[in-house]
Amino acid sequence: MRKRFLIVGFFLLAAVLLSGCTGATVWPGLSASGEVAYLANTSAVHAIDLKTGQELWKFTGQGGGFLNTNPSLFVTTPIMTEDGLLIVLDSGNKHILYAVDTKDVNQEQKTPNVAWRFTEADGHWIAPPLIVGNRLFAPNSDGKVYVLNMQDGQSEKKAIKAVELSSASQKPGRLWAQPVADDERLYVTSLDHSLFAIDLESYEVLWNADLAGAILSSPALGSDGMLYVGSFAKQLEKFDPVTGQHQSVLDTEGWIWNTPVVDGDNLYFSDVEGYAYSYNTATGTLNWKVQLNQVDTEKAITASPLLLDGQVLITTESGDIYEVSPDGKADLWHQGPEKGKSYTTPISAGGYVLAAYIESDYYLVALDDEGDVKWTFPTN
Amino acid sequence: MKNTSNQTQVQQPQLPQGFSGESLKTVAVIAVLVLAFMNFGAVVNLMVNVLIFIYSLVGHNFGIAIILFTVLIRLLTWPLNAQQMKGAKAMQDLQNDKEWQGIQKKYAKDREKLAQEQLRIYRERGINPFGSCLPTLIQFPILFALIPAITYAIGSTPLSLLKLSRSLYGFQNAAELVPLNSRFLWMDLGLPERTIILGIGIPVLALIVALTTYIQTKLTMPASADTNDQSAATARIMSIQMPILLFFFSVNYASGLAVYFVASNILSIIQYAMMGKVNWRNLLPGGQK
Repeated sequence: MRKRFLIVGFFLLAAVLLSGCTGATVWPGLSASGEVAYLANTSAVHAIDLKTGQELWKFTGQGGGFLNTNPSLFVTTPIMTEDGLLIVLDSGNKHILYAVDTKDVNQEQKTPNVAWRFTEADGHWIAPPLIVGNRLFAPNSDGKVYVLNMQDGQSEKKAIKAVELSSASQKPGRLWAQPVADDERLYVTSLDHSLFAIDLESYEVLWNADLAGAILSSPALGSDGMLYVGSFAKQLEKFDPVTGQHQSVLDTEGWIWNTPVVDGDNLYFSDVEGYAYSYNTATGTLNWKVQLNQVDTEKAITASPLLLDGQVLITTESGDIYEVSPDGKADLWHQGPEKGKSYTTPISAGGYVLAAYIESDYYLVALDDEGDVKWTFPTN
Repeated sequence: MKNTSNQTQVQQPQLPQGFSGESLKTVAVIAVLVLAFMNFGAVVNLMVNVLIFIYSLVGHNFGIAIILFTVLIRLLTWPLNAQQMKGAKAMQDLQNDKEWQGIQKKYAKDREKLAQEQLRIYRERGINPFGSCLPTLIQFPILFALIPAITYAIGSTPLSLLKLSRSLYGFQNAAELVPLNSRFLWMDLGLPERTIILGIGIPVLALIVALTTYIQTKLTMPASADTNDQSAATARIMSIQMPILLFFFSVNYASGLAVYFVASNILSIIQYAMMGKVNWRNLLPGGQK
């Protein structure tokens, strides 16, 4: 009898251990404002002093309910408003969007107070919202863009509009990327292969275009006034923002995951096969294309490039950061941790380059302009 | 010629003493288990591709794809399940056998001799004492691989979508298929299911998993009049532990996995019923006695 108990116990243990083989399924969101970095890293959003790397406070949401059966999940890039509210999204099953007041921190509990929240969404929050004036445009996995008035004084926000985005395809309209706006229109990409243009005043969908693959990134507004967006169809597409007419301008080796970064006439972006590209929008030609990593499990590039004083820094899945010269020559700028991966777009703040990691001894590293480590969070 | 015949006899493969054909089966099952764990990633990828292939055939409904996948797994493991039932029956019969009961009493204080005698009876009657549990063991790699397979296939987070892109075989039109429609009934199959009631997340599907697992183990539990029957006692323990184990899985992992458990439990009951092995009286209070 004891043996049978042992056998069942063994399989319980094996089940727990092996089910952990799924590994991480999310990566952190990272932003900064002033002298503070904000890292949304699964169970909490951490505010980190950029000078020291020390945690100033953390926000964990409303708790996980009975037996923690409904835990919070923070992975979406936090967005700072002009009046010091940090927009934080709970990507767990509660679907709550919080505005936490970074100027009103409970010093005993080391956590900021919630200024207001929004709970009307039906799906998970993955996309960071966009602030336009006093309005917040928040795309959700339920296929709607929720428009909130941030100045209405309500602590439980009601959406002034929920713009439902549905295309001709039968795919689920999950919205995972931050919208982009010009003076007149909001542009929203969808996993259902579509790009939508919405009138900023009437909230009408002006046009939508179907691409041949899912779109996980935001479109980029080029210096030529055109929209550029990559997709899983392995193509960079150019859109007329007024009409929605589009054409493929470049074939890539793999799925395009990140938002192109604009620098004058040049666009910089990359794909999951480890290739980085520079494309000239004025001439319509490829400046360069370089493969940064060829190892299957660490070559993907999901992070957007970071432009820093004329440098193009590109982070690969391995956690290594490469500096690519104007002629497409890549040099290792910073070697990532021995153990860990990076998918989050690095940022420049407080004189440092900040890079976020998963499955590593630390979640965040601050690098100086030579790529040397100044501090890590948590501190070793 | 006689000499040659003798040589032929000598050259026939001989199993070591105490090593039966049943033991070979045991070794084979263990080898399959070890291979599966060593190539865990390949097993996961295979499952992801089968799931997505079925999904593409059934009108992009992942819930239906999981149910059909469960049917496929059940069909593939049908012979193993049949062997499990046969093994369980043989072990149960043995518990009621007079010779077996006799050696239990006779060698109650000599465990070594008792083990020798038990082995002798197993050998004489062609019984594999692991015959009832080995087929269950071989299903564990399927279960373990199914957890990441469902998580990756649905791609409900950016990272699982990236992992999916790496899992797909060349013949799958990944760009066309992604994202998969993860909605099924009231659930998102890529995430643990919770139904919010009065502000509390109730794992309704996990409770259904626990209930169907309990019913399945109860229905398929062998009837025994002997209160000392070890196999019946083990089955009673399993009828409590398995629902707890599967409830734990269902609460913490993608609800697609829970759909697999529910479908698997129902199919298991159907299979037992088709083989005339369902003991409906076990569901009644005191029905086992």
